[in-house]
Amino acid sequence: MDTLLNPPAETQHRKVVPMQGDTGAQKADSPSLSIVLEDRKTARANPAKANAEKLSFWYGTNQALKNINLVIPENQVTALIGPSGCGKSTFLRCFNRMHDLQPDTRYEGAIHLRPDNVNLVGRDIDPIEVRMRIGMVFQKPNPFPKTVFENVAYGLRLRGVRNRSELAERVERALRGAAIWDEVKDRLNDSALALSGGQMQRLCIARALATEPEILLFDEPTSALDPIATAKIEELITELRQRVTVLIVTHNMQQAARVSDFTAFMYLGELVEVDATSKIFTNPSKKATEDYITGRYG
Amino acid sequence: MTSTLEGHISKTVDQALTELRTHAVEMGGLVIDQVGSAVRALLERDGVLAERVLAREPAINDYESRIDRESLTFIALHQPVASDLRVARAISRAALELERVGDESKKIARFALKIGAIASHDPVVAVARSLRHMATLSAAQLRSAVRALDEADPVQAREVLARDKELDDEFASALRQLMSFVMEDQQFLRATVDTVFALKGLERIGDHAKNIAEQVVYLVEGERPGKGK
Repeated sequence: MDTLLNPPAETQHRKVVPMQGDTGAQKADSPSLSIVLEDRKTARANPAKANAEKLSFWYGTNQALKNINLVIPENQVTALIGPSGCGKSTFLRCFNRMHDLQPDTRYEGAIHLRPDNVNLVGRDIDPIEVRMRIGMVFQKPNPFPKTVFENVAYGLRLRGVRNRSELAERVERALRGAAIWDEVKDRLNDSALALSGGQMQRLCIARALATEPEILLFDEPTSALDPIATAKIEELITELRQRVTVLIVTHNMQQAARVSDFTAFMYLGELVEVDATSKIFTNPSKKATEDYITGRYG
Repeated sequence: MTSTLEGHISKTVDQALTELRTHAVEMGGLVIDQVGSAVRALLERDGVLAERVLAREPAINDYESRIDRESLTFIALHQPVASDLRVARAISRAALELERVGDESKKIARFALKIGAIASHDPVVAVARSLRHMATLSAAQLRSAVRALDEADPVQAREVLARDKELDDEFASALRQLMSFVMEDQQFLRATVDTVFALKGLERIGDHAKNIAEQVVYLVEGERPGKGK
């Protein structure tokens, strides 16, 4: 599944030259009439930010991931879809070593993070170091029982930022990045728990953004939210790709369609298919993918 | 159509709809030009112009397949409902109608290449006034229909529906002229038949404009315009 490393050479940038209306034959043969059509079926993948190579994972004797090879392109959104128990959350959690909090778990293979090629699941790598570089947003908003400001400042303080003006500046930048600044700028000293569910989730995104992670993981980030709050988070995710690489797990296929550039379909711990999202949702290559996304899954 | 296309929480949706609309309007501009050029090539026996019309035909087909693909992708990725769904469908259907207008223009251009120099007794010359009038009318109808689509304006669309009869009447009148022409001299029967096809093509272009206008009414009001409206 290394297609994301090698985008098809024929993929071209779009070039459309608008027609100038019915001005007669004089302009009819001007070279501007040639239009080159972009093939949107195969969106171009950026260079890899992370590369899962032969990644397997065990909970005790239960193998949850089987030999996964997947490229995560930089500054793009990759969505993981699949039925419950397919291993998509397990895969996501490998990226910030969440499994290390549980006893009797085991990794095999590697997730190499570019540019330094560090193996995120390597035994010699400190999970704390990994989590400094890989942020995560969970299903249920989980702000700390502190003020709005402190929620975002917390990670910065941990990293040794003490200067008050720098803290204030970086908190504001993170809150703006998470599209919540305008709603909370007058409530920075209020408890974060007083915010609405959607606001809390955006605050959690701001908290993750504050420390400027290289990859941001989203684990079902909107399943506890109403449709409008969901739409705002989705819009935010599509904007975030400009500054961070995003990997999102969702059991809402439509959400994967709306927000992602690439979609990976997993089943029974295996990666079945990965491709440009527009390709997956209009013409997937594998029948299992087609059956799942069309709701024929038996 | 700006207000119909914009204002979503998701800018991606705004952008996708605006792109669809822009491509349909660009395609409309090209197609309208093809109609005028094809008829002028026929009336003036301008082979170079006819060739230009034929050379541009693939660009029209490219627009159609592009718009079709874009609207399909938009539906697959964004699951539009209500007016968003109607916009995607209306634009995709309008592109199909425009592509057929392109086909009609192509046929007229081919006829222009085939017919040869103007003869003393020439069916095209016999109905030149009708051809010119029908080309002007059908292009005007198309222009209004595409503008109605662009502006999501059902009033303008209904005007297109109401004016279609003018083209039908002109077509009937031109047919009568050709009947008497061919009765006088059957030597030009083949060219006369081709002229009938050219006239019929222009009349069909009016129908395509009408179909686009019906899509506009549906897009805005959610219901198809009733007969005679």
